Amino acid sequence: MTIRLSKRYGFAASHRLHSPALTDEENRETYGKCNNPHGHGHNYEVELTVRGTVDPVTGLVVDLALLDILAEQQFLAPFRYRNLNEEVPAFRTTVPTTENLGLEVDRRLRENWLNVFPNGGPCLEMVRIRETDRNICEISAKAEKAVLRAEEKPGT
Amino acid sequence: MVISKRVEFSASHICRSAQLTDAENERVYGPAANPLGHGHNYVVDVAVEGDPDPVTGMILDLKRLREILEDKVLNVYDHRLLNREVEPFDTVVPTLENIAIDIWNRVAPHIGGHARLYAVKVYETSELSVEYQGEI
Repeated sequence: MTIRLSKRYGFAASHRLHSPALTDEENRETYGKCNNPHGHGHNYEVELTVRGTVDPVTGLVVDLALLDILAEQQFLAPFRYRNLNEEVPAFRTTVPTTENLGLEVDRRLRENWLNVFPNGGPCLEMVRIRETDRNICEISAKAEKAVLRAEEKPGT
Repeated sequence: MVISKRVEFSASHICRSAQLTDAENERVYGPAANPLGHGHNYVVDVAVEGDPDPVTGMILDLKRLREILEDKVLNVYDHRLLNREVEPFDTVVPTLENIAIDIWNRVAPHIGGHARLYAVKVYETSELSVEYQGEI
């Protein structure tokens, strides 16, 4: 019986949106207030949606204690109360937009998913990241494949 | 096209499987395994799919949907101890997953006309939800 479960987590962090590939003027135009050189912060929310079958004995689709540990290890502890640009290696080279932050959370979870939930366990269907109530980004499993293909291209 | 309606109920439950030992139950369900039970304010989003009726402009009369949910779900679940008072939870563990499946089974046969049941999403807290779309 296929079912989806969603669990929401939160962390607070600061960031600055500034691309080294753009001029200062272009950065100001592109990112507006988010380009403030001193940075600013958000209470981020990350909702993870997993899909799988309900275990007939436990009635559960996923061991929530394991999902909580994975979330804590992969993005809550590393991002909580951090300056994302300065303290998270991925954002020394990519701009910590909601999109890139979502992709980083997604990448970290997928890299470690099979260690926690071996084949046949629940799969990660969606990462939804909320920077504010009005600014939400979704990364679905399908989009993830599309992004990987796009990233592979320059190297080939 | 999908339209959804939200209803709420409060109920208590105990998450323990008869097929697991006490230690296993406590590991699997954590505090939810408390044999004395605990409760939640559940929020249920019921989504129906279909084309709007050319005359009424509606997929399904939402008053009718409200009546179905009152009759088949809220009257059965609200302010109950699910394990003792709601079948099938005398034998099935009333996890959020099994609650969503049971609500689907109770509602689906009563959605007719232009509409079919599309999804049942149940929130146990604002942080935790389950969505069931029937046998896919």
